[in-house]
Amino acid sequence: MSMYRGVATPYVHDEIYMPPLACAAHASHSLRCITGLPDSLVDVDASRLALSFYCIGSLDILDVLNEKVNMITRNEWRKWFWEQQTSGPHGSGFKPSSFMTGQGPASEFVQSPEYSCPHVIMTYTALLSLAILRDNFAGLDRRGIVAFLRGCQREDGSFRTTPQGTESDLRTVYCAFAISSMLNDWSGVDVDRAKAFIASCRTYEGGYGQEPSCEAQGGTTYTAIASLYLAPRSEGEEPLTAAEREQTIRWLSSNQDESGGFRGRTGKAADACYCFWCGAALRILGRDDLVNGLALVKFLDRCQFKFGGISKAPDEHPDPYHTYLSLAAIAMYPPPLGESGSNTSWHLAPIDPLLNATQATARWIRDHVP
Amino acid sequence: MAKPTKPLYSSLDEWVDVQPLEQYEKVNPLAPIFYTDEYKDATSYFRGIVKSGEMSPRVLDLTEHIIRLNPAHYTAWQYRYRTLMSIKAPLDVELKLMDELAVKYLKTYQVWHHRRLILTETRDPQRELAFVEESLREDTKNYHTWSHRQWVLSHFNDIDLWRGELDFLDTMFNQDIRNNSAWHHRFFVVFQSGVREGEEDRERVVRRELTFTKQNISFAPNNPSAWNYLRGVLEFNKLPFSTVTTFVFPYTQPTDPEAVDLVDLDNPPPSKQAELPCPAAIEFLADIYESEGGESLLKANQLWKSLADEHDTMRKRYWEYRIKESLQKGST
Repeated sequence: MSMYRGVATPYVHDEIYMPPLACAAHASHSLRCITGLPDSLVDVDASRLALSFYCIGSLDILDVLNEKVNMITRNEWRKWFWEQQTSGPHGSGFKPSSFMTGQGPASEFVQSPEYSCPHVIMTYTALLSLAILRDNFAGLDRRGIVAFLRGCQREDGSFRTTPQGTESDLRTVYCAFAISSMLNDWSGVDVDRAKAFIASCRTYEGGYGQEPSCEAQGGTTYTAIASLYLAPRSEGEEPLTAAEREQTIRWLSSNQDESGGFRGRTGKAADACYCFWCGAALRILGRDDLVNGLALVKFLDRCQFKFGGISKAPDEHPDPYHTYLSLAAIAMYPPPLGESGSNTSWHLAPIDPLLNATQATARWIRDHVP
Repeated sequence: MAKPTKPLYSSLDEWVDVQPLEQYEKVNPLAPIFYTDEYKDATSYFRGIVKSGEMSPRVLDLTEHIIRLNPAHYTAWQYRYRTLMSIKAPLDVELKLMDELAVKYLKTYQVWHHRRLILTETRDPQRELAFVEESLREDTKNYHTWSHRQWVLSHFNDIDLWRGELDFLDTMFNQDIRNNSAWHHRFFVVFQSGVREGEEDRERVVRRELTFTKQNISFAPNNPSAWNYLRGVLEFNKLPFSTVTTFVFPYTQPTDPEAVDLVDLDNPPPSKQAELPCPAAIEFLADIYESEGGESLLKANQLWKSLADEHDTMRKRYWEYRIKESLQKGST
């Protein structure tokens, strides 16, 4: 596989016409998934809250939530999210769903605090979802969440997904940082230790692996970069050295391949989700101007599924995860608006790359979560 | 709907003493899954077991059943692990089962994590590396599989385990010299995991790695993994990129039909069939010129311009950024 060797094309000043983005179909796909999932997707049983976030998040980026979902339903959704908030000996947070919650004879909750405990990734996506639904967060157990995060951090600085679990990697570090940033309370995490863990995941390519000694990967590189830029720092302190920053920028942009999409690792095929992970990391580093935005949206255009939803690559099946991340990538890198009104369908709600939410939702978080 | 693989627990006499606990769904749930009766039944019994705290051999059957239906059910894994420990179940049997499940659910995080927990207990990694090699046959770039190998090596840190790594990598490279996971693993083994017996002469090791990389570039010049590795080796060992200028230069030139195939181990030339010039080599040479500074900046700029306009137009903006940055640096 060689790099692209096309003949140089001069910058085109004429309008660029993209076929319209199938916004309505993508909204329907998200709504369909919220309504119900087939048994073949049973493996999301233990992460249903995150999947729900991708669906609601897509509606937020498409800016159709209030138009497509009435207030009664939105309130029911909020109630469902709040029902996933759970407390126990290890603090509070959100669980993935009621997959471990039993129903007693009087339809009451029956759950063991130990096996129905909060989960770091679900807590992060629950806060985002409730903010999208413009909840006032009156019911949030802030102190409980701080205690929960504290209980999840390990000696090496990383975070367990659940207080008594044993899985931990860079993704959970990001969620813990994002939650602390949303709460505007960092007392639940030892930032220096976590930063040392992040640094140990850096590889010679300039990206970050999921754990120390793992290969550089686009998703985990986003979580590393976003964490470093979310973390509090003293004046004049830079999250990366100049050389590290340049090396990461180089690696990230080298992942945009001849298809126009981004790949997650050197030499792999492009995948729609990395258009967000790499594209957002570049934006955080202040270098979104290096992305070939037009090639990127043309790739994502081809990833749209005929009946709604966006898939990881052309001719694959769509899912809420790739739909959400593709829409977020499009929102960051829209094709130029023409004077004749072309490409307006591609202009979506602007994104906050650090929290991975629309700017309006991120503002809501800043105003209502702390 | 999937055909049930087992009779329902509610129909079995040996489970009659367990009070199943149906899933709570009072509030209208988001993204509910239309579970099969089999999954509903098994998880109801699992919730019942968790409530009673039972840890017994039949819990192993139940959790295995759930895992086969949903390998991402992390609580089933967690409870299974505690049950194994509590009843002191034979872990070699468990590992055998994991051999099957790892390949079946190659992309599920929990399968690999459970394996780690078991190995941490047995402290017997002897057959692990062969197992990883076997499962890489299914998917040569699987992230979990490679991570597992890296974990086994660093967790047990046994010289006998490390010894075969370069030979193992040779077989991986023979299959696919563009497998970046293998290149990354090589960097981890050679540079990032300490200095082992027989590798103390670091100058020799660096020479060996440079020779290895150059040879592989000469076989397949347009392989970004090899060029990244070359950069990594030089940077890690604080050697300037100009150490390899003589090697890099021919790869930045158009294919020379007059070239004769030379055997030059230090600076192996591109083969006659090579697709040249190679964009990664042009980038590399530009970096060398940039670090020289002064007059050489002009040469670096020309190379970046050729990438922007001709050899790597997808990333035109990145190359133009490099030009702009170097001009700014040059003027201060």
